[in-house]
Amino acid sequence: MLKMTHLSKVYRTEVVETYALRDFNINVKEGEFVAVTGPSGSGKTTFLTIAGLLETFTGGEYHLDGVEVSNLDDNARSKIRNEKIGFIFQAFNLIPDLNVFDNVEVPLRYRGMKGPERKERIMSALERVGLASRAKHYPAELSGGQQQRVAIARALAGTPRLLLADEPTGNLDTQMARGVLELLEEIHREGATIVMVTHDPELAARAQRNVHIIDGQVVDLAEDPRFHTAYTAAAGQVRS
Amino acid sequence: MQIRPILATLRYHKAGTLLIALQIALTLAIVCNALFIIHQRLGQLSRPSGVDESDLLLVHNQWAGKPDADEVASMMASDLATLRNLPGVANVYATNTYPLSGEGTVFGIGHSPDKKTYTDSTAIYFVDDNALATLGLRLIAGRNFRPDEIGASSKHSKIEPDEIIITQALAHHLFPDASAVGKAVYLSRKPSIIIGVVGRMRTPWVDSSMAKWDEYSTLLPYRRLEGYTEYVIRTQPGQLDDVARRVKATLYAANRMRVISPKNGVRTFADVGAQAYNSDRGMAILMGAISLIMLTITGAGIVGLTSFWVGQRRKQIGVRRALGATQRDILSYFLTENLLIGVAGVIVGGVLAIGLNLWLMNQFEMEKLAMGYVVAGVAILLVLGQGAVLAPALRASKVPPVEATRSV
Repeated sequence: MLKMTHLSKVYRTEVVETYALRDFNINVKEGEFVAVTGPSGSGKTTFLTIAGLLETFTGGEYHLDGVEVSNLDDNARSKIRNEKIGFIFQAFNLIPDLNVFDNVEVPLRYRGMKGPERKERIMSALERVGLASRAKHYPAELSGGQQQRVAIARALAGTPRLLLADEPTGNLDTQMARGVLELLEEIHREGATIVMVTHDPELAARAQRNVHIIDGQVVDLAEDPRFHTAYTAAAGQVRS
Repeated sequence: MQIRPILATLRYHKAGTLLIALQIALTLAIVCNALFIIHQRLGQLSRPSGVDESDLLLVHNQWAGKPDADEVASMMASDLATLRNLPGVANVYATNTYPLSGEGTVFGIGHSPDKKTYTDSTAIYFVDDNALATLGLRLIAGRNFRPDEIGASSKHSKIEPDEIIITQALAHHLFPDASAVGKAVYLSRKPSIIIGVVGRMRTPWVDSSMAKWDEYSTLLPYRRLEGYTEYVIRTQPGQLDDVARRVKATLYAANRMRVISPKNGVRTFADVGAQAYNSDRGMAILMGAISLIMLTITGAGIVGLTSFWVGQRRKQIGVRRALGATQRDILSYFLTENLLIGVAGVIVGGVLAIGLNLWLMNQFEMEKLAMGYVVAGVAILLVLGQGAVLAPALRASKVPPVEATRSV
């Protein structure tokens, strides 16, 4: 579903080159729920923005659903984002000017979908996240957990092949976070491919597979003495 | 098209939206009427006076020492002879006024001696048999005055001409179905016979309130023997400046009992026209400047507000891009948003424009605004709006999708 091979992302200034990702390799299969973890500045978000075609990369290859994306123009990338990828952001990123219904409708309009089909999909997605009764409410009238559910509904309405979540519970309290996580698990059980970036070991432990990024590279923690102690200890505490 | 969500967003940003729509409305109301006024004033400027304006010189002669009518008649006859003998002069006559001078006499004119039945007004020109040739007026029916028909008009004498010459416009108005020549009309209790009809000859006044009868002119065969005399001189081609330089000294040399103002005493017809239309030209320039300022302010307002909104919604634009919007979608979003505000503005502005015109009609006798001006104003404002929003909208379309992941 998502395969990056020897991928690199370099930010260049006049005096310095900074590698955000270096010789980065990952392969996420269809239907997998993968958590991407790592310390701050490790390159998690850069990985996610490249995976979601929000940013271009400097070198290597990236195949998304079998398509090599490095040579696609802006319009083609927009189309893939719209049709194949659903985004869930830490800050929800709902449009404050629009009510819940209109927010969920945004990606469907860009797909050129007809009104009746849009309405059906929106209401179905809102029912899925338990917010059909809030369709006319504005984001400011909802709690954080409800806003994230709307964002999930927006991501689901387009029936994407891949769901990318960036710290989806980062702005929520424990109870709300649990609700959102359960919803993601439910969506995964129904067959969605989910890649979730998080620095929260508890959250990562709920995924099928964990991928750890250190200094822009995927590492196997079991074989890396620098982080072995810290991460295994944290994971142990969570599991116990 | 995503009109409904854009309207929802505009409802969310009521203050900015209303301000810009109101600005567009006011600009449209003012620009429509200003353009209409400009067109009217320019129309005035381009209207022909009816006389052959080239090589025409006007001398305003004020008699000194309160001479009586006989003395004026004698001095005037002497002046006319002197001027006729001046090298470069082709023809000359004395009168009370001339087209576009701004000053003159108005008489009622009608088909009966009862003044209550006078339905129209006419400008009165006191002329002699040289006037038509001097002014270059075209006689289209009848004949010119003969020298023996020229009478004298002094302070207390009655104006009861036996013969008159009128303009074609007046003739057609008085006698729409027949030739006016030989017909009698009344300027006083005595009938005057129309002996000739000339083509166009404007009245002395140029303001639009007199537009209805500004070609209703009547020539009376009189020499006006009062405090001042206007000499109308036609020079030989190319001699205008030369005669203009010498005419004053020549008249003073012939008779010093006169005042010819150093400032406006001797003028070419071009000077007269320029002065007559000074206020029209000034008004057209003022209206043009006001329109330009209003349009600039509105354009700047749209650029300012859209730039502000683009800055404010940068993250939102990034989210839209992340959700699949193309650069073209973002560009079209801002253009459509501006178009919706513009359409609301021009609808209100169209009503305001007509209202303002009605008020001007009521207060200043302005003519009814032609709908073409409203349509032109609407087009100008909508094009201006789209033009003004283009740069910020293009900036918005360049916001990268990764902006969605950046914290504010």
